[in-house]
Amino acid sequence: MKELIFPVSKADIETLKVGETIQISGKILCGRDAVLPRVVDLYKKDQLEKEGIDLKGSLIFHTAVSVAGIGPTSSNKKEIEDNIAVLSEAGVKMHLGKGALKKETVEALNEHNSVYAVIPPVTALLDSKIKNVRCVAFNELGMEALYELEVDKFPAVIAAAQGKSIYEND
Amino acid sequence: MIEREIIINKVADALVKAGSVFSSDKFEAYNKAIDNEESELSKWSMTCIKENAETAEQRKSPLCDDTGIPHLILEVGKNRAVSGELLDAIYAGVSQGLKKLPGRPMAIKGDDWKRVDQSLGLYEESEAVLPAPLQLKYVEDENRLSLTVLMQGGGPEIRAKTYRVFHRHSKETVLDEIVSWADEVVGQLGCTPCTIAVGIGRSHYEASALMLQAMADGNYSIQSKEEKYITEQVNKTGVGSLGLKGKCSVLGTFIKVGPQRASGVRIVCMRPCCCFEPRKYTVNL
Repeated sequence: MKELIFPVSKADIETLKVGETIQISGKILCGRDAVLPRVVDLYKKDQLEKEGIDLKGSLIFHTAVSVAGIGPTSSNKKEIEDNIAVLSEAGVKMHLGKGALKKETVEALNEHNSVYAVIPPVTALLDSKIKNVRCVAFNELGMEALYELEVDKFPAVIAAAQGKSIYEND
Repeated sequence: MIEREIIINKVADALVKAGSVFSSDKFEAYNKAIDNEESELSKWSMTCIKENAETAEQRKSPLCDDTGIPHLILEVGKNRAVSGELLDAIYAGVSQGLKKLPGRPMAIKGDDWKRVDQSLGLYEESEAVLPAPLQLKYVEDENRLSLTVLMQGGGPEIRAKTYRVFHRHSKETVLDEIVSWADEVVGQLGCTPCTIAVGIGRSHYEASALMLQAMADGNYSIQSKEEKYITEQVNKTGVGSLGLKGKCSVLGTFIKVGPQRASGVRIVCMRPCCCFEPRKYTVNL
């Protein structure tokens, strides 16, 4: 099983195939409905660096971060899925969550050399694999702020890559 | 007089168990589903879910980070009394349980419309999450006084549906309508295999209450012909665990049918519960 240590390079991502199981390690970002539109807004205003956000080669896990732990929310929620294309353009190499994405989102991922992976909602298991937690931006959003986690071997499956999706009908 | 501290501790403990422990019939249902599954990815996902449940029980920590909104069913026999004092202790127990689990701090600040648009942000305390209105049920067991705590996650609430069904004097019409509702949403849920909970009543309120009761009473090892029918039909979608395709999209179905109205209409509430639900625990008070 391939282990990816984030941040990653373009080369790390371009060989990934739909249905491949991977392990995710390194520093990853966490954000969902409330914060992702704000991150996109910063990107469009060229203010990411000013806010201490680096998206190059990054992974964004669609989750809240709280005392209850972490776990994927549905990536096809409007405020998450609608921002996947722009975030990929900004440098995000992997979007991690759950649920099927639209065809146009899968195409946008491919256009920007980014992929989508899904992770089982295994909060108790994931908790034992988190080494560090840091709030990066928008602290006022509480559990919905943008966080950086240092993690060790999160289990995941590549669900969309190279224009293909695991959710397509055979 | 009630022993306030004893009630508080019992309720808090029940809430923690509801949020962190799989019932034995649920473990059994997962074992069977994993054995029968042909898709390697779906099998892998269900094995992760089972291992997560074992870890959560061991650590007394949440099964899922969406720890859910506490829903309470209080069952009372005729020899027992429900006082304001008892209800106060139950609510204090819920608050203590949320602190202990810990529950996700997801209570919204502000007055009515500020809570709707979420513009004032969230409370930092887990215990700021208030339980849904308590359901009180009179039961035949004269000496019974028990509380069931259910922790209801957000994903299934997005996909649940309460609506009227014109039954045409046919049970099959109602069952097939439930299957069509479930077929539509099971793939969107993400956290599959799910459990389909159904309440059939005379009003939307009653159907929802019956659906909650179905979650509280349901057992994967005891499935009626109608429950098996829904499970088998929805499994034909091939959604699989985590939507990765496979034979098991639904672990089981729990149905509760209440009194019915002399009418061509039945009110049906269908909730596709996530892979951890029903998260429930019953305690005698």
